[in-house]
Amino acid sequence: MHEWSVADAVIRTVVNWASENHVTQVKKVKVGIPSFSFLDVEILKEAFDTMKGDSPLDKAELEVVFKDPIFKCRNCGLTFSLKDVSDQLESLKGEFGEEYPLHLMPALAPSFLKCPRCGSHDIVAETQDITIDGIEVEESGTAQTVG
Amino acid sequence: MEPLRQLAKEKLRGKKAIAVMSAKGGVGKSLVSALLALSLRGAVLVDLDVHTMATTKLFGLEDKLHEVTKNGIEPFKLGELGVVSLGGIVKDKYVVLPGGNAGEVMESLVAYANLGDANYVVFDLPPGLGDEVLTLERLTDFFPVVVTTPSAVSVKVVEYVMRYLNEREKRPLLVVNMAYMDCGDDKVARPFGDLKNAEDLAKRYNAPVVELPIDPSLESYIGKVHEYDGVVKGKVKKELVPYLT
Repeated sequence: MHEWSVADAVIRTVVNWASENHVTQVKKVKVGIPSFSFLDVEILKEAFDTMKGDSPLDKAELEVVFKDPIFKCRNCGLTFSLKDVSDQLESLKGEFGEEYPLHLMPALAPSFLKCPRCGSHDIVAETQDITIDGIEVEESGTAQTVG
Repeated sequence: MEPLRQLAKEKLRGKKAIAVMSAKGGVGKSLVSALLALSLRGAVLVDLDVHTMATTKLFGLEDKLHEVTKNGIEPFKLGELGVVSLGGIVKDKYVVLPGGNAGEVMESLVAYANLGDANYVVFDLPPGLGDEVLTLERLTDFFPVVVTTPSAVSVKVVEYVMRYLNEREKRPLLVVNMAYMDCGDDKVARPFGDLKNAEDLAKRYNAPVVELPIDPSLESYIGKVHEYDGVVKGKVKKELVPYLT
C-alpha cells in the first residue's frame, strides 16, 4: 500500500518541476529506490498510472531502478554492502511483516541495521530514500533527458 | 528534486502548522501539544520527537502500529483527533539516527501521513534547536509555541529559542507550564518560582504569555490523556487556543 504514497510523491514532484520549466509532456520518469525498502514495482507502476492523469505525466512511463546501498560504519570504518547484513534484514521482515519500518522509511536504516564488524549503529548509506534520477521530455518533437 | 520534501510541503499547504517547542527538556511540551491538539477542532498531532515518542505513551498507543492505506499512513484516531508518531512504525524499538537521517525520517512522517482535511497540524518537537526545527522550516511557515517552566534555568535556556525565532522573524507565544497551583480562596502557590523571569523574557521578544497551572491529577491520565478535562485543559482552551485560531 505504501507504494501509492511513493507514486504520489514522485508525481507531485515531477508535476511541480514541469510547471516551473514550462514542460507540457513528460515521456519517462526514472526513479531510484533503495532495494532494502522492498517496494513492489507492479503496485508502484499501477499507482503511478492511476494517479498521473490530467497532468503533463498522463502519457509518462515509470522506470524503477533499485539501488543497493554501500554502508560505511563511522565507528570502525568498515565499508559493507546489503548482503553483509541480509540476516538482520530478514529478521526485521520476519518481525514486522509487509509494512516493516524500512519499507516505509528507508532513512531508518541506521536504527535497524548495525555494522557486521563492531555492532555500531553509527552507519551511513549513500542511498537513503527515493530519488528522481531522470526525466525524459518531448518538446518540439525532440526527446531530452534531464538528470 | 526531492520527492519526500515536495509531498510533505504539499500535505501541509492550506493547514495551520503549530510547533510546540523548547530548548529545555522536561518542561511538558508533549503534554501541552496533546492538550492543545485536543482543544482545536480538526487537528492532527504529529510527534516529531523521533527518539522518545512520548505522545504514544500519553495516549496509550505504545503497542499499536499505524495502518497504511492508499492514502498513506493513517493517523491513530482518538475522537476527532488524529495522532501520528514514529512509535506507530517502530513499536517499542529504540531509534538511534545520525542527524541527516533524523531529518529525513521527520520529513517522511509528514509526507506519508494522511493529514486529510485537518485544519491544524500540531507538531510536538524534541528539546533543543536541531534538525527538527530546520526540517520544519523547510516544510512550512509554522506558528511557534515555546514552552518553559517558571524556573530561572529553564527561562535562561529557552531564551536561545526565542532569540533564534526572533532572528527568523517569527513571533512566538510563550507558555509557562507548571506556573502555579490553585489553593482555593483566590490563593495560589508558585513552587517553581514567580513569573518575573518568564515575563521579562516575553517582554524582550514581544511575545504574549500564557501560564498553565499544576494539576496533580494529570498524572493519572498518562495513557488516556484524551479523557482528561481538568483545569489545565480548561486553561489551554480558554487562553491558548484563541491565539491560534
